[in-house]
Amino acid sequence: MTLLEDLSKDRRVVLYAVVVALAIICMGAFGLKFGLDLEGGSYLQLQLQGAEAQIDVSPEEILKYQFNASSVEKHGQSYVVTVPGKLDPTIADDLGYSGAKTAGGEDSTKITIQAYPETIVINYLKKNLDSDVKLNVDVAPVRYEIRTKVTRESLNELLAPVGGSVPAGEDAFVEGVSQATVEETKSVLDSKLNRLGLQDIKVKMVDNKYILIDLAGMDVASAQEVVGKPGKFEIRIQTENNESMHVLYGDAVQSVDIPQGERNGAWGVPFVLSEDGATVFQKAAIDSGATKKPEDHYISMYLDKDEIFSAPLAPELADSLNKAPMRNLEANVGAGDAGSQKAKELYIHLREGALPVNVEVVGSGQVSAALGEQFKLQMVIAGLIALLAVAGMIYYRYREKRIVLPMVMTSFSEVVMLLGVWALAGWQLDLASLAGIIMVIGTGVDQLVIITDELIRGGEAAASAAERSIKERAAEAAEKAGVGKVVTTTSKVYLTRLSRAFIIILGAAATTASAMVPLLVMGFGALTGFALIIILGVFLGTVIARPAYGRIIGYIMAAH
Amino acid sequence: MELQDIISKYPPKQIMLVPLIIILLAFISLGATYFATGSPVKLGIEFTGGTLVTVPSQESEEDVAAQFSGYPLVDIRDIGSRYMMQFGPMSDAEYTELAKLANEKFGSPEIRHMGPIYSKELQAQVVKYLPLSFILMAIVVFLVFRELMVSLLVVISALADILTAAASMNLTGVQLSLGTVAALLMLIGYSVDTDILLSMRVLKRKGAVDDKIIGAMGTGLTMAGTTIAAVFSLIIISNFLYLIVPSFTRMDVIADMSTVLIFGLAADIFNTWVTNAQGLRWYLGRSKKAVRGQKR
Repeated sequence: MTLLEDLSKDRRVVLYAVVVALAIICMGAFGLKFGLDLEGGSYLQLQLQGAEAQIDVSPEEILKYQFNASSVEKHGQSYVVTVPGKLDPTIADDLGYSGAKTAGGEDSTKITIQAYPETIVINYLKKNLDSDVKLNVDVAPVRYEIRTKVTRESLNELLAPVGGSVPAGEDAFVEGVSQATVEETKSVLDSKLNRLGLQDIKVKMVDNKYILIDLAGMDVASAQEVVGKPGKFEIRIQTENNESMHVLYGDAVQSVDIPQGERNGAWGVPFVLSEDGATVFQKAAIDSGATKKPEDHYISMYLDKDEIFSAPLAPELADSLNKAPMRNLEANVGAGDAGSQKAKELYIHLREGALPVNVEVVGSGQVSAALGEQFKLQMVIAGLIALLAVAGMIYYRYREKRIVLPMVMTSFSEVVMLLGVWALAGWQLDLASLAGIIMVIGTGVDQLVIITDELIRGGEAAASAAERSIKERAAEAAEKAGVGKVVTTTSKVYLTRLSRAFIIILGAAATTASAMVPLLVMGFGALTGFALIIILGVFLGTVIARPAYGRIIGYIMAAH
Repeated sequence: MELQDIISKYPPKQIMLVPLIIILLAFISLGATYFATGSPVKLGIEFTGGTLVTVPSQESEEDVAAQFSGYPLVDIRDIGSRYMMQFGPMSDAEYTELAKLANEKFGSPEIRHMGPIYSKELQAQVVKYLPLSFILMAIVVFLVFRELMVSLLVVISALADILTAAASMNLTGVQLSLGTVAALLMLIGYSVDTDILLSMRVLKRKGAVDDKIIGAMGTGLTMAGTTIAAVFSLIIISNFLYLIVPSFTRMDVIADMSTVLIFGLAADIFNTWVTNAQGLRWYLGRSKKAVRGQKR
């Protein structure tokens, strides 16, 4: 057939055919992946609580306030704090200045603290916010990363007694935590979910403030139990009566072993403390008097201030602790199935004690697999009906099979190309993306209508003879450049018309795509798929499918 | 043809009154809602926060509602073999219990829970991104035409589309959700397609303005027709088919999206071929006179 021969010589048509073929191969080779709302599963949206702030404060003022000192002097790397009267030497330790030297004078006490100015600020914030504080030196001026919920106001209030403040300006107080902390949190979550043996989990970060987790094939209540609870792990020891004191945070827990089954009538979770942690634990056990009367001193573990474990210090352990620090400990939780279940939970909690930041569930949800299947089916039907309806509209207008068929085929092939890209990239198609595909059919055909009308109806608003000759010369030049050798004289006009159609199409495509750009980032990524489908659909259509369509329809009309 | 009469029979200034009145009415509708509720359109659950639970069930509405009586149930609707329930604010613990209950009692529930932080952030995003999207579109339009009045007419027509679509949400009771925001953004980009076609045809071709407008109209109406046909099939499948075929279910995101789009597209036909076209007639007519005046 001559038409096919002609077409096979046109580079645009060849490119188009190759891309469509590649798209089909990609779809076959990689398959399409569907989003959670079509596959079934649940999702969680977590907010990382924390902020980064610049802080204007003098370390001397902080020390003066903390020790109630009469004077604070800086000598090189250390601060000398003078306090009237006698002072309990443990106070410096309690305030977090370990290694401080206390020297009692006649009516005053001198405390020498070796510390950087920033360390003193961090200590003050830690003590008062009951949270981890880190210095972020990657930004200038440096910012303090506070890993709990604070506002500019609450921070200023806290700093007021020491004459400090958060400087004005947007850079001075940024909600959210540093990139490094975000990544650390993400990897902790990743490893936690992987350890649970959950397949196909997606953990995504948005804005340094939110974590989005997709859990396929799990209901939302279980998902929340598994993921929503990670938080700060703490070990406390009972001192006197019902009082307790802080011993360790989760970072002192070096490793945790899988619960080994019932031993001595109870399930237990063995865990190992770091060397420092073991020393601190020993000191706490002795200081609290637990080594002497273990049965009166409960060791309690907390996760986000919820008690997850509480039992008296075991007598054997108390004996050993009297002699040396113990690194290998075991938390016994009870017998039977209940004990087994408890041990499993405690295991997870202990492993994840070191999640760096507090998180809060801000949104969540679930879709069942059956419903997702139903959605998929309905969208496929909607797509087919849309294609048919569009074809009907085109037929109503042109009454010409030779136009309707290529148009519908081109539109359909644009969808195929899109799906090919999605399969290749491994992107997920969600419900909104499928709606986007149907919109691409709707707008794609529009552009084909513009091309067709410019070509066949362009002659109606007949250009003057003079203008036509200019166009023909332009077309001739184009022909010399090797654009189209098979075309007849009339198709020189056709070339100009085609380029005119493309100015309109490019303008229309650019506006549609640019209006979609904000959607890429909006709504916690819920509509990223939709926006991407529209933008790429417009792009592929404009660059590959429509130029080829312009040629094909031209050849068909010429053959006619 | 009556359409052609509208294009050329009356002086542009008179016809322009119609779109002005429509824009005014849209503003009144948006303004009234704003003063009544604090936002120009009704906010959906994603923006107010709350919980949506959809459960499949053959039981009666009352029976299903009774099972959730311990929770702040605000609304329950039958959406084709399934009931959609909306719950007011509740604590995290309550929500977890609710999710468990829904999973235990009903085979495959659909749950969506939006906390206050989520909805506030989303509101802030829409306030930021909707205008941004519009500005991006306007920049592209100015780059395409490089002529102030022509570009301005296109942008005004698009703005009128968005306003009408938003006002139509108040009329039909469609709430602002992520889906409808996406639809409004889609309209921003899409509504200028036919305006660009019209302006290009009128500016770049020789011949009488009215003839060129009518010529462009044939193409433009076909474009509108194909898009409306595509969106209409979405409406049928997402919003009505479950009423006829019981095994089908309503897809609220798609239903909301397509409802907004269909109103926006209808408004676009009007705004392209009346607002923009008459604007061009007026502008080109005026400049011709100005040119003639200079020559004399």
